[in-house]
Amino acid sequence: MRKTFVVVAVLALSAGAVMLARQAGAQGGGTVEVEVKYNGAPVVEKIKVNKDTEKCGKETTIEKVVVGGNKGLANAVASVPGAKGGKAVKGMIDQHGCKFQPHVVLMTPGEIEIKNSDDILHNIHTYSTANPAINKAQPKFKKTMTEKFEKPEMIKVTCDVHSWMLGWVAVTPGPAAVTDNNGVAKIENVPAGKQKVEVWHETLGKQEKDVDVKAGQTTKVSFEMKGK
Amino acid sequence: MWRPTITAHLLRWLVGPSLRRGRPTPQSGASSPPRICTVLVGLLRPSVVPVSVCVSFAASLSLAAPGAFAQGDANAGKAVYELKCAGCHGVKGDGKGPAAELLLPKPRDFTAGIYKIRTTVNKTPTDQDIFRIITDGMPGTSMPPWSVLPEKDRWNLVAYVKAFAGDKLKEPPKKVELPKEVGSSEASIKRGKEMYEAIECHKCHGADGRADGPSRGELKDEWGHPVPPANLAKRWNFRGGHSRTDIATRIANGVLGTPMPAFLDAVEKPEDVWHLTNFIMSLGPDAPHYATLLTVTAVKDAIPDDPNAELWKKIDANNIPLMGQVIVDPRNFNPAIDLVSVRAVYNDAEIAFHFTWDDPSNSTKGDGKTTFADAISVQFPPQITGGTERPYFLMGDGSDAVYLLRWDADKGASEATANGPTKLAAVKGGEVAGKATYTNGRYQLVLKRALAAQGTERPTFRPAVFTPVAFQAWDGGAGEAGPKMSLTSWYYLRLEEPQSNRKFVIPPVVALLTLAAMVLIVRAARSRATNT
Repeated sequence: MRKTFVVVAVLALSAGAVMLARQAGAQGGGTVEVEVKYNGAPVVEKIKVNKDTEKCGKETTIEKVVVGGNKGLANAVASVPGAKGGKAVKGMIDQHGCKFQPHVVLMTPGEIEIKNSDDILHNIHTYSTANPAINKAQPKFKKTMTEKFEKPEMIKVTCDVHSWMLGWVAVTPGPAAVTDNNGVAKIENVPAGKQKVEVWHETLGKQEKDVDVKAGQTTKVSFEMKGK
Repeated sequence: MWRPTITAHLLRWLVGPSLRRGRPTPQSGASSPPRICTVLVGLLRPSVVPVSVCVSFAASLSLAAPGAFAQGDANAGKAVYELKCAGCHGVKGDGKGPAAELLLPKPRDFTAGIYKIRTTVNKTPTDQDIFRIITDGMPGTSMPPWSVLPEKDRWNLVAYVKAFAGDKLKEPPKKVELPKEVGSSEASIKRGKEMYEAIECHKCHGADGRADGPSRGELKDEWGHPVPPANLAKRWNFRGGHSRTDIATRIANGVLGTPMPAFLDAVEKPEDVWHLTNFIMSLGPDAPHYATLLTVTAVKDAIPDDPNAELWKKIDANNIPLMGQVIVDPRNFNPAIDLVSVRAVYNDAEIAFHFTWDDPSNSTKGDGKTTFADAISVQFPPQITGGTERPYFLMGDGSDAVYLLRWDADKGASEATANGPTKLAAVKGGEVAGKATYTNGRYQLVLKRALAAQGTERPTFRPAVFTPVAFQAWDGGAGEAGPKMSLTSWYYLRLEEPQSNRKFVIPPVVALLTLAAMVLIVRAARSRATNT
């Protein structure tokens, strides 16, 4: 009886120690600041709107390549695919002003909440191969719905009612971030050590670099994407 | 390849349909009860085992044993596929057969494993779904029904086409659970219309369901091919059939690989799926009921120009099917207009034709390069002889001209003669009047002309004469102009005998005279009898 108690206590203690160690590891991770530059012209198509103009505006844009200050490339996903087991991130996308907002949504495998704050019909039409492709109507009275994307994948999302609407859901297993208008993304909680950092852009493709991440420090790495 | 076991054979035989050639599809309306039911009920009397109970039992049996139906042999299917299917779908199943280029909608690419018509909520269709499309074909497309093939061959084809998708169809099919059926009623149709507007079906399908919604031009399928929305007023063209269950299933599941999304969780209440179904079924007839002979009704009063006038509602419509012109270049393999509905009347001075046809875009002029003015014409021989010789149906030829009554959205009504689809000449001095309306994807037009005509170019219409007639139509908004048209071969029309009062006068007069004669004869006979 006493033996069993000791075994249980030891087990509990060691489990606690492992958890503490893990947390310490996560805290001890570093930050990777990724800068993505693009040496080309932005690609933004202007579209005349022929319906729902009170919600969508009379003119709208399809943002394929957005280039900001200092040639920084926006809407690129920087991730560390090797670093699994981090914090779960639930996806959240809104259909607002007949646009997917944000243009690129980050999530770890699991659930995504899809909002329709436009008060008109949209349909969520995904083009995916690893996850089941969906095409579900979301009429004005269905303000939110939840879908599951369990496999890592870059998923294109469109709305057939408003054909200019284009968004991406980046399902990444590890820590990730999306570049801002200056082309900068900060990936936090990256485990220390040698890591592969990957940058992906919807039209410009993918690049990879090895980065030596130091705990508690910010490591900078820059990429340059080329037009096709 | 997996070979069916004897048990699977027996099970399939038992739960299979009683009629070998019958369609074993519960979705497609008429189906025969499973064989096991016929046997059981025959042995035990219907009071002991009601047929319906047995049918549901057999259905659960076949669900419990997947593969009971799905036991086609892919190897055996290959030979049939290469003989019958590869021409369009390609030897590799990628939808790129030699004929694919000319077809719209494009043949299915089986390698993607994306099936439009499913009774499942996930990507994987049931084997029955694929079997049914092979058997019934897809109305409004180039996919014909293959019910001529032995049932076994069709099941073998199911196994073979599924194999093209590899592990893309590895997830087992998940059947849709439709809400409890709601029968059609005025209230249900009203609710269906409300829901149709609330969930904005009209964005693609148009306010009256005639495929003229504002998003129609933007729609593309999974492969980037343009895919127009369905015209809900012509449900006989629905790709996956037009029974109540078919329609409700399409609303619930969507049409995979196309912009049509699933609405099962996107209606206010689950039963709205049935209200929508009832509303859609109220938008048009169940079948086109094509005419064979056009009757021109005699009227006494003046004939109204207005296509919406009361008179036209009283006249029977003759539905005429149109085909793409594929004889001379440029050919029209995918005609936009497949039906024109014709009403015709005449009085002692004039003859008038009333046309109704669906066209999703009102193209009055076009840019002259890719779009043109919408148009329609009705064709006659220049002289109506009542004989059997007629000019070449494709707008005449070098030796024999045809006479045309034309209307186009830009220039209005006109008369012309033609010696072929590109050789038109205006007829001078004609007096044709035309008035058209365009509402929610539908044209209505009245063309009116004097009965009698001068000269040799223009026919005079006479009652009770079989008059050759043909039709042509152009959807300018879809790029149709010149030889690129929809058309018919020759039909006949007949002006009914003029209404006269003689039929009300002569028979009573004859009857009275007969009666008088009889009275006279009887009297004469009586007086002779009293005299003797």
